[in-house]
Amino acid sequence: MTGPETLTAPRRLRHRHRMSRLFAVIAAGSLGLGVIVVALLVFTTLRQSAPLVNMHATAQAGLALSQRAVDGGALLGPYVAISQVADGSAAAAAGMAPGDALLQVGDTKVPDVHGVWRTIGALPGAQQSARFAWIPSLEALLGEVEAVPIDGSPGRFRPRLGYLPAEVLAAKAGLQEGDVLVAANDLPLQGSQQSWQTMVLAARANDGPLQLRVARGGAEIVVPFAVRREADVALHRDLGSALWHFVTALDEPRYPEHAGLSSAILGSLLIVLVTMLFAFPLAIGSAVYLEEYAKRSRLTTVLQVLIANLAGIPSVVYGIIGLEVISRALDLKRSILAGGITLGLMILPVMILGCREALRTVPPWVRHAAFAVGATPSQVVWHQVLPYAMPGMLTAMILSISRAIGEAAPLILLGAFLFVNYRPQGLMDTFTVVPIQIFTWSTNPQAGFETIGAVAIVVLLVILLLMNGTAIVLRNRLQLRW
Amino acid sequence: MSSLVVLPKTPSLAAPRGRRFFEALVRRTLLTCACLAIVIAVLTAWTFFHGSLPFFEKVGFVEFLTSIRWAPITVPEGYGTLALIADTAVITGIALLVAVPLGVLAAVFLSEYCSVRLRAWLKPILEVLGGIPSVVYGFFALRVVTPMLQDAGLPVGFWNGLSAGVVMGFMILPLMASLSEDVLYAVPRSLREAAFALGATRGEVIVRVVLPAAMSGIGAAFILAMSRAIGETMVVALAAGRVPSWPPNPIDQMMTLTTTIVNIATGEQEATAFIWSALFAIGALLFVITLTLNVASHFIVKRFRELYE
Repeated sequence: MTGPETLTAPRRLRHRHRMSRLFAVIAAGSLGLGVIVVALLVFTTLRQSAPLVNMHATAQAGLALSQRAVDGGALLGPYVAISQVADGSAAAAAGMAPGDALLQVGDTKVPDVHGVWRTIGALPGAQQSARFAWIPSLEALLGEVEAVPIDGSPGRFRPRLGYLPAEVLAAKAGLQEGDVLVAANDLPLQGSQQSWQTMVLAARANDGPLQLRVARGGAEIVVPFAVRREADVALHRDLGSALWHFVTALDEPRYPEHAGLSSAILGSLLIVLVTMLFAFPLAIGSAVYLEEYAKRSRLTTVLQVLIANLAGIPSVVYGIIGLEVISRALDLKRSILAGGITLGLMILPVMILGCREALRTVPPWVRHAAFAVGATPSQVVWHQVLPYAMPGMLTAMILSISRAIGEAAPLILLGAFLFVNYRPQGLMDTFTVVPIQIFTWSTNPQAGFETIGAVAIVVLLVILLLMNGTAIVLRNRLQLRW
Repeated sequence: MSSLVVLPKTPSLAAPRGRRFFEALVRRTLLTCACLAIVIAVLTAWTFFHGSLPFFEKVGFVEFLTSIRWAPITVPEGYGTLALIADTAVITGIALLVAVPLGVLAAVFLSEYCSVRLRAWLKPILEVLGGIPSVVYGFFALRVVTPMLQDAGLPVGFWNGLSAGVVMGFMILPLMASLSEDVLYAVPRSLREAAFALGATRGEVIVRVVLPAAMSGIGAAFILAMSRAIGETMVVALAAGRVPSWPPNPIDQMMTLTTTIVNIATGEQEATAFIWSALFAIGALLFVITLTLNVASHFIVKRFRELYE
């Protein structure tokens, strides 16, 4: 006999189990989502840092590129300007000069600096040189240019060739002094700089010579004008040397391909050194007092509550304290010493909590045994408790120090300089640190700086990963022991 | 016979004088170290009192807290923080919307479902994620998430509160997860076993028994996460922008209390200018808010512990 009750009960039970499994999947999914999203963000940052090799290759070839935009005229769009050419470099040997504009790398037209670096990255692996096409600067192309007003449109000017030496390209193309340039490839030319920019975009769009319409002596003629110059430039794409340059070079405010992290790395190292020297003894001392010496008194309770609450204060607030007390009242100014002590104050409460945790893992019979054979309190602490608690305390310290290395906010308040192009020599020097360098680079709107910001992040994350890994291994060993 | 009477002198059981002096010295030194916490606390109070006194002499508390006009370097100046507080609240809210559900569920998985071996792998991974510096998360928000949102067709600006909030949520997720896991772990085993004995499924045990029992502890974790989000600086300084938005609109630029502090500190103004005392006033506000939240959280945790111990 199968009544409705016997059927519904198992179905409801199945439903309940299904819901239970669903809940398990949701819970696992939440954890997975959290981990995967952050992993994806890290991965994207890694990919963003990839052009470093190509940036380094153009820098090695002697070029400093910057992205410009045409601000008016017939064509609008970005182009890549060659801002600097190093003497004796491959680019100088090829005939490039500052003020030229890059048109094409290999077979790819390059509208922006990232286009240049992407193209270089896409060159076949073994290829150690690329064919660059560029257009010379305004002076090398047209000589001196004067502005003549256009009839009927007030406030607008056409370029007229003024002084025209024989080595200028326009002279070689048969143009003469006094010619008024009207249009290039049927794009009207206006103003001197703007005309040149229009010619840059026109030359990038079409490979052949520009068809230049010129007004000469009342008549308009069309002159073919070969503005495009090409040469093979040797490129050295070497990750090792790119990274080495990046960690040893100084910061550079305009050209990201030449910038480096060395003053920030040195600043971070010195800051962390001061922080460790300041915070380690104090943290161990406080923790030992609270765990091994203190009896239950009002002072002890006050101390515990204070330390727990100090640990929760935002880091930027510690920056304000550092600014007022250490930088101004103690007159340490904007020095590495002031920064290190400020960070020390910031990590001290967390470090004390961690060290106390470590001391609590030491079993009481260790102390009892030592006291029983006549050891004094300081001997118990020094010879028994501290050696046992050392791995745990080390873990707490490494974790706090890695927090100090990654911290930027308090140091920004303390006036760590946003641009430092020298290496700090001593503890009283002004400084910058890696996180602040990341901050300034990633807020720089100029193309290429976000790339080196990403590279700096990779450097920072590798350091922190090593430190955290050490801490975790140390703790696991400790756990095995007890 | 008389030689038997000559007993050797009994050595004193008390420690020698030098040793006693040394012990006292060690004890004093360690006590001094511990008392540094008091020094820091006093310095903090003094800093904010001394630093913001000139500010509150000129600008009243009421204007400071209720005016929406924050314009310290234009004429006439405005020193109202209401818009800043509202922006901070919105970004914190977005962060908590991400971090709290995901964090609590992750904690449930770790403490109720996960095998010991898997947990031994997952916990360190979470810790490493929690150890990523906030400036890196700021870069994620500015250079990865905002372009993604723009590609997805959302009308967000280069700087916006939305991506800063979302990324901050993922940043405080490890903290939320590990705090909640501690709380779930503290729920007595007997409660779970009783529920299983009544025929509840595993999901029902968690939803109807474990989570309600842990609710106050999770509340404490929530408050700590909130305090962390309010005090977070670099993510919002990088990604949220430098103009307060009123009424708060997360797809626009937003400026939080912490960004304001960074703005003043990195600004062009002389360090002696009046605007620097505004920095101390905002710092004091931030300090009071986070301290209140932390104290509340500790209070809740204490009551939670008493419930089960």
